[in-house]
Amino acid sequence: MSKRKLPLAIAIAFGFLTLLGLLFMPDLSHLLLGWAGFLAAVALLLGVLNLLAVHFGRLVNGRNVYSGVLVLSMVVVFGLAITDALSITENGVTTVFNWIQVPLETALASLLAFFLLFAGFYMLKRQRSPGAILFLLTAVLLLLSQAFTATTLLPANIRDPFQQVQTIINNIIVTAGMRGLLIGIALGAITLSLRLLLGLDQPYNK
Amino acid sequence: MNPLLTLSAIVVITLLLIIFTRRGRNGRSVSLRPLSAVSSLSNQMGEAIESGRQVHISLGQAGLAGTAAPTSAAAIHILDHLAKDGCASGAPPLTTVGEGTLLPIAQDSLRGAHQAAGRLAAYKPGMAQFVAVETEPYAFAGGMAAVIQQNKASGNVMVGRFGPEIAITAEAAARQNMSQVIGTDDPSALAVATAVTDHVLIGEELFAAAAYLEGSPYQIASLQVQDILRTIIAIAILALAAYQLLTG
Repeated sequence: MSKRKLPLAIAIAFGFLTLLGLLFMPDLSHLLLGWAGFLAAVALLLGVLNLLAVHFGRLVNGRNVYSGVLVLSMVVVFGLAITDALSITENGVTTVFNWIQVPLETALASLLAFFLLFAGFYMLKRQRSPGAILFLLTAVLLLLSQAFTATTLLPANIRDPFQQVQTIINNIIVTAGMRGLLIGIALGAITLSLRLLLGLDQPYNK
Repeated sequence: MNPLLTLSAIVVITLLLIIFTRRGRNGRSVSLRPLSAVSSLSNQMGEAIESGRQVHISLGQAGLAGTAAPTSAAAIHILDHLAKDGCASGAPPLTTVGEGTLLPIAQDSLRGAHQAAGRLAAYKPGMAQFVAVETEPYAFAGGMAAVIQQNKASGNVMVGRFGPEIAITAEAAARQNMSQVIGTDDPSALAVATAVTDHVLIGEELFAAAAYLEGSPYQIASLQVQDILRTIIAIAILALAAYQLLTG
């Protein structure tokens, strides 16, 4: 069997076995998905090694400070994991994660609102089309509605129209759009999966 | 759902796919509506080759062992296309992934493109970079932004599964006045993408991109099958709505 046909045969065979397993033999599908999970874990390990290799290369060849910090962090956390396992330290990895990773990610998440605000302004600067104006008007209207309906300072006759607008936009326009989008995605995913199952698409065979 | 019903639906869709593929192979042409994002992909590669810089492409954070694998498979088609053009001209795309299983397939795509261009010696496994695991979307977004800035990329392509955190990466690219193409199946990421760039592959368009870029009969056939299924679903929804309206 040629070098290209063997991966194709394996992919098609396991694709159909998984499909049959999912439909009629749950034990078989659990077994195959367990194997896939194991391979994914190995791939993750390769990913971490790739990250280390790329940044170590940059540190040595390009004297990149950021890569140096990354390599040092990886080595320190790896060392802490070993000392945790040997009971020399206690919860070292968790402490580093909670004290460094979590605050950094939270800071990035809180910056997201500003990035989105800037993106909205850039969009209006880039294109003053009816679509762009509608996009921004809807965003501002929804933000105002949420602010007005959350406060008890305003009288009900001012709050209620905003509440109604918000409900109409969320329940009718957004829901309809989302469902249309998800139906399109599902159809695209189904046909692509069948192409993979039939061996028409072979992303694993370059 | 009844397994037999699911199997029947799969068989019917498969038959439709085979019929339309055969019709396509017999020379029946199909006109596709223009997608600005697809045109922009080709332009970005052209600009990268002219400027001697690289285009950044990210395949997102959907693993090949999970339910969102088709999204990543669609993104890999776009990488294949960009890699083929870029490697032939000595400007391979800067590739980043946010999930372990995407790394070997991205490396394989770049290696295959180098081999096809007769430049296998220039290929290095580090050309595709693993940035962060799928459980750390903000680290992934920050990592992509760093790759874009440090390597002075000429354009930014993000295709696959992303969340709203792509705003961080898109902002980094926008600061350098880069042309951007974003394609994803996540509604919240699509909302961000719409604000950031004009070139967005909205949901199903991401799955259709391969047909636009490569135009194989089976890819065009899958678009035709999707159109038929979409029409059936739309009619069913309208009929059910009308039935409910009439029966109260």
